Amino acid sequence: MFQPRRIGTLAPATKVVIYGLLGLWSLVVLFPLYWVLITSFKEPIDVNDGPYYLPFVDFAPSLHAWEYIFVEVGRDTFRPYLNSVIIAVSSTALAVLFGSMAAYALARIQYRPKAGSILMFLGCLAGVIVAVAALGVDWRIALAAGLAVFFLAVRAVSSRFRRSLGNGDILFWIISQRVLPPVVTVIPIYVMFQRLGLLDTHVALILTYMTVNMPIVVWLMYDFFASIPVDLEENAQLDGASRLAIFFDIVLPLAKAGLAATTMLVLILAWNEYLLALFLSTVDAQTMPLLVAAQNATRGPQWWYMSVLILIMIVPVVLVAMVLHRFIAKGILLGAVKG
Amino acid sequence: MTEIAGNGAGSRAMRVTIDGLRKSFGTTLVVRDLTLTVEPGEFLVLLGPSGCGKTTALRMVAGLESVDAGSIRIGTRDVTHVLPKYRDVAMVFQSYALYPHKTVAENIGYPLKVRNIARQERDRLVTEAARQVHLDELLDRYPRQLSGGQRQRVALARAIIRRPAAFLMDEPLSNLDAKLRGYMRAELKHMQHELGVTTIYVTHDQIEAMTLAHRVAILEQGVLQQLDTPRNIYNAPANLFVAGFIGSPPMNFVNGRVASGRFEANGLALPVAAPDVGEAVLGVRAEDATVVPTGQGDVDCRVYAAELTGDHTLVTVTVGDDTLTVKMDKSYDVPIDSGVGVKFDPAHVFVFDAATGVRVWPALQVN
Repeated sequence: MFQPRRIGTLAPATKVVIYGLLGLWSLVVLFPLYWVLITSFKEPIDVNDGPYYLPFVDFAPSLHAWEYIFVEVGRDTFRPYLNSVIIAVSSTALAVLFGSMAAYALARIQYRPKAGSILMFLGCLAGVIVAVAALGVDWRIALAAGLAVFFLAVRAVSSRFRRSLGNGDILFWIISQRVLPPVVTVIPIYVMFQRLGLLDTHVALILTYMTVNMPIVVWLMYDFFASIPVDLEENAQLDGASRLAIFFDIVLPLAKAGLAATTMLVLILAWNEYLLALFLSTVDAQTMPLLVAAQNATRGPQWWYMSVLILIMIVPVVLVAMVLHRFIAKGILLGAVKG
Repeated sequence: MTEIAGNGAGSRAMRVTIDGLRKSFGTTLVVRDLTLTVEPGEFLVLLGPSGCGKTTALRMVAGLESVDAGSIRIGTRDVTHVLPKYRDVAMVFQSYALYPHKTVAENIGYPLKVRNIARQERDRLVTEAARQVHLDELLDRYPRQLSGGQRQRVALARAIIRRPAAFLMDEPLSNLDAKLRGYMRAELKHMQHELGVTTIYVTHDQIEAMTLAHRVAILEQGVLQQLDTPRNIYNAPANLFVAGFIGSPPMNFVNGRVASGRFEANGLALPVAAPDVGEAVLGVRAEDATVVPTGQGDVDCRVYAAELTGDHTLVTVTVGDDTLTVKMDKSYDVPIDSGVGVKFDPAHVFVFDAATGVRVWPALQVN
């Protein structure tokens, strides 16, 4: 049988082997970071001649890349950086807020949408599209008429429908939004924001990232909310709290660990996103991943500039991870000794 | 009706009126046309085996379950379709439902906090409620740092702090060990008397029901079987179910028939003034029968076992296929397999209609 043992009780030879393996793995994980770090201090010639591993020994470190990024093109670095911060933080905050509300509703309220009503909605939608595209009806009129027909029809016949869907179906539909790669929807999204005149704005990227990441939030938070004993919320209802007060006073604090983990995941996804940013931003709303990619331009890959940018991109993520890690570790322990 | 007015009874105590309440989950009817009135300040216990619908009925009063048919009134107000938070009732859950991330003081004060009561006033009331349940030393602790009994007290304090129109309690003592349960039972009874708040209490434990209640409502399969004082429930069970459910050891039943003023069964013929219902069941409590020498009792039988329980001896005898348990003095002893007679106290013998389960003798009083 496998028994977990304390490292202190192991034989010295075993200890050496274990520490050796752990050290080796740390090397594998940390070496790329080290390589980026020293590359940022290399002259182009040192990069191209290399590989050189040790500053001051193999090569003479230089601050030229740092100076270029921060001083010479400082404003062109600072703007995308600020864009990235604004877009990642806002979209994450919105996705986590609305996503966890949706997840809570799915965990606690039974929805029974009628399959027939959904089919009717799709039918009306198809009618609107045909009317606009093929018959040249003004889209505003078509949309209003479609909605009106749908609501009247639902009122009239929805009670006749037998088959209804449950929360599981809704949850699956939400997560299915993430099954296809985003490249499938990127052109419609681009056209939509182009028509709205919102290309190359923060709003476009914030809304898009929020929408794209919300399914992940719903999916992850649903499990955390479902595991909170329902007695607590029922008691809070009797204590006189409103649904919203229960959500913020009772439910969210108890789901802190899940919230921290979800926030971190979504923040990193938004921070690193490239494809959508490539389509939706050009100059004003350009984000850091685009700036990094831009270093591989006509003059060939500028590894030294790229390294500086990658380093300053990593820093905030590491800081956030360190802060949120406290909640996550604590949450896991609390769950384990629940009594 | 027993005396129910406590010190606090009067202005605040509300009558709870449940009329024709019905609820089903899917195709299962859980509560069937439950009608009962809880008097102001009364301690009413809903008693029944698990799955009898008592918790569902309580949750409907709280507003945590929707009502299929019927109505619920608190005082004069119809609350049948009112949200829980507007019903002005407090509930104590079996799990206590304490907020794990709030301190004892924050837990107790939460009902006041959501009512936007000023911090100073809140602190004063929290301290007062905590003192009432002997928790004043523990206000800064978190629920996970408390024992089961202490958690129970926090739940109670949270319920009493806002003087609700009614307390609803769902098996609040069942998670405690036996000794603590007995102690908390007495404390609960005293506190309810002091506060005089109308209380509906759900339990499957007949001792809790008998000791706490002013009146007990016994439910079985969603149907109210009997609603009466503990004494009347014990001394005059309305039907076979109540007779068999209440009492330890359970009431003895002998299957037979009633014909021309006599109950007849295997080797037994007892004159009873019951109407001729045909198939019938005779019921006698263990303490209302005596073991006597053969030939001197109402029926002759054989001793199956004699068990000294401490303050008395339980003698089990067999009569044909039926067994009877008789409670005798602790000094009584009898060898197994010896022949004896059993004599029933004629004043405490019940006869039930075997088909309907309804008591036919002594005749039910129609109120």
